Amino acid sequence: MAEQKEKKVEDIKKEAEAKKCPVSKSLYYIEAFLAGPMCGKCFPCEMGVYEAKIRLKNLTDGKGSEADIFAIKRIASDMLESSRCKRGKDTAAFILEWMGTDVFKEHVEGRCPDRECISLIEYRIIPEKCIICGDCQDACKYDAITGEKKKGYKSGYLPFEIRQKRCVKCGDCIKVCPTNAIILVDVKSKEPVGV
Amino acid sequence: MANMIKLTIDSKEIQAPEGSNLIDAAETAGIHIPNLCYLKGMPGIGACRLCLVEIEGAKAPVIACNTKVKEGIVVNTKTDKITETRKFVIDLILSMHPLDCMTCTKAGVCNLQQYAYDFGLKESTFTRKKFGFSIDEGNPFIKRDPDYCILCGRCVRVCRHQGTNVLDFMGRGVGAKVITANDKPLQESSCTFCGSCVDACPVNALLEADRWRKGREWEYEKTKSVCLLCGNGCDISVSTKEGRVAKINSGGADGSVEKYICAYGRFGFDCIEAETRVTSPMKKVGNELKETTWEDAINIVAGKLKKAGASAGFVSTAGIMNEDALVLKQLASTIKSKNLDTTASLYSDADSLKNESVDIDSADLIILAGLNPSQWTRVLPALDAAVRRRVNSGAKLIVVNSGDTNISAVAALSIKGDEAKILSEIAQGVISKGAKVPKELVHALASVDPSDDAIKGAELFMAANNPLIFASPSLYDASANLSLIKGAAVAVPIESNAKGVVLMGIDGKGKSYKEMVNEGMSVLYVIGELPLNKRPKTDFLVVQNSHLTELAKQADVVLPSAAFLEASGTMVDYMGRLKCLCKAIEPAGQAMSHREILMAVAKAAGMDIKEPKDADIKKALKAKPKVSLKPFKKKEGLDVNPQEMIESINASVINGSRLLWLKESEKAVAV
Repeated sequence: MAEQKEKKVEDIKKEAEAKKCPVSKSLYYIEAFLAGPMCGKCFPCEMGVYEAKIRLKNLTDGKGSEADIFAIKRIASDMLESSRCKRGKDTAAFILEWMGTDVFKEHVEGRCPDRECISLIEYRIIPEKCIICGDCQDACKYDAITGEKKKGYKSGYLPFEIRQKRCVKCGDCIKVCPTNAIILVDVKSKEPVGV
Repeated sequence: MANMIKLTIDSKEIQAPEGSNLIDAAETAGIHIPNLCYLKGMPGIGACRLCLVEIEGAKAPVIACNTKVKEGIVVNTKTDKITETRKFVIDLILSMHPLDCMTCTKAGVCNLQQYAYDFGLKESTFTRKKFGFSIDEGNPFIKRDPDYCILCGRCVRVCRHQGTNVLDFMGRGVGAKVITANDKPLQESSCTFCGSCVDACPVNALLEADRWRKGREWEYEKTKSVCLLCGNGCDISVSTKEGRVAKINSGGADGSVEKYICAYGRFGFDCIEAETRVTSPMKKVGNELKETTWEDAINIVAGKLKKAGASAGFVSTAGIMNEDALVLKQLASTIKSKNLDTTASLYSDADSLKNESVDIDSADLIILAGLNPSQWTRVLPALDAAVRRRVNSGAKLIVVNSGDTNISAVAALSIKGDEAKILSEIAQGVISKGAKVPKELVHALASVDPSDDAIKGAELFMAANNPLIFASPSLYDASANLSLIKGAAVAVPIESNAKGVVLMGIDGKGKSYKEMVNEGMSVLYVIGELPLNKRPKTDFLVVQNSHLTELAKQADVVLPSAAFLEASGTMVDYMGRLKCLCKAIEPAGQAMSHREILMAVAKAAGMDIKEPKDADIKKALKAKPKVSLKPFKKKEGLDVNPQEMIESINASVINGSRLLWLKESEKAVAV
């Protein structure tokens, strides 16, 4: 098998664009950049990108603050100015482009408007809508849903709930729910939000 | 001289030589452009981006380390934009640096500390990063602590440039590490412990191993001196604290290919405080050496010398200073002895050492004739490093040797065989190519038929502007013949001041070193450490040395002399340059400099010798004969093994310091 060619920054950008959330896009891009085309030949890029990764992780993990956004902005604009090659400068330009919206700020407040940053969301089952069919339990690969199916000969049942510690937020349960009883909730506000 | 270019830096009008970069140009005007990865004398790599400057009219900032001066450009080094970039980079570096300046040995000379101060950065605004690399401190010379490393790559480049090639990066970006092959400790790599990387490191990542709490830069007194341990005679800078040597660095100019010292020069200073040090005069009582007074010892020696007169002999190392040599010569004539010689006669005749001075930095073709310099065996290591650096900067190298040499690996042309014959063939090759050469040379070479290799050598020789030939003294005449056509030739001795002592007039007019040692003298006066362990046939043996060598133990009188950092004076190095040594520390115990002892002996023998002045030295140095045509022949009887000789004349240095560890571990690896 021929060795895989090193990815180009434009290709990584395209892959990143598949995501909706600009913070996720940036993090995906930076991680792929660090693993691939980052040459490590100049300080602003090699050290800046590494720091940016830490800061972006903070944001997607819900631990972000205004300082993180400020730092990322600073890194990107200084990289644009002082990086040695086009790859570093392009990277900075992409990040700046993605930072152009208020979405980064919303992450600081604990909201991912595109519901992609999984640390910022929770899955919930609305008991009123749930018909206790058990499809979600069958679909869950992580055994994160507790509850017992309704059976004709039994009077009682256990309501279906999602154990947050086990849930990896893959979304498989949502896909199989016949009554749309599973919704996403912002971790911080605990308010239900639509899909 | 290179053309001077006019330009403006920070509204200062300055002139800089054509081809120089902006950092060097600014430095001449007293403007410092921050940098962490730039190394003078090597092309800039633009990694740290600290040296970004703005040129008026240019689209984007440029890196000063890699931008050549141009007529009329206007450079700004301190705009807001650039300052922000620099702050940003330093901020990032600080986020992965231990920040323990209060106990850091490098405090005061650390570039990172300086820039953090300049930009007012108390700590990093970025996330703290720690990698917890292990420290390499398995050897007594160099400690490597990767946690301090800022990845500037200076050590890697300096190591590669001089041809040692031990260090390299593992990984890239943050979390990369400077390693040896397979990340082994230094002593298991091919490291020679020259410490060039220590001099290059801007932070505390590479440091002399014994420096912890032994004083920091501002506590040291710095003294410029010269290392006298081998034929290279390298410039050194000695740092002392409270009368003790704390460290020795290379004293070569930044950017010169000669900014190098080997492990002997850098780490051998421990020997000054070795147990074998002689600190008071001693005389033989019965079968034992007993301490005595200076007066007693000097009177005994003077009396014996006077009595022996013409049958007394003086043998010295060629590692004594010019002043010592002049006094020694006068002392010999005081007691009417002509028998005065140095160990230089083991490997050279006197005339071959009287060369004009040369400059290796401007040489574009270097020929090594009969020399086998090597950093690994520490035979003329500085020459090896300098030649490799010149080659890496574009100069060509021709190696002419009858044996295998390590350095031929970087040579453009390596010819093996009878050196004198090859040199004559190269000269004939030059003639056959139609170059203008002195007539007598054409006649002398009429019957020589150059080989193909020699023709190649001749082509290289003709293409060069400044060919420089380094020859072993036995091949100097043959090499000098080539320099009649173009360039210069010098003989490279094994000992530091061989050229000096010969120019001062110790040129073996009486009995030679070999004759005195083998045939026996009635009184033999030995100065310095000789490649001699058994007492030669003599009725009375005086040894004047800083250490109690094997020979000194068998002496009748031992006179304690100052060690090489304990006396001032001058010497002439292998390139024929007069260098000054300054006393860095006081002599141990009652030790005195060679010339003080010799003058005291002369006084006791009834003759006042004045301490030589600079003018005396300069006068003596003028005795350099003009280069003239000599036969293309190798001089016989001058073959010594340079490595063995250097090790034996430095035995007390090696055995009395941590170099012994090096020798033993090298031996262990070899077995």
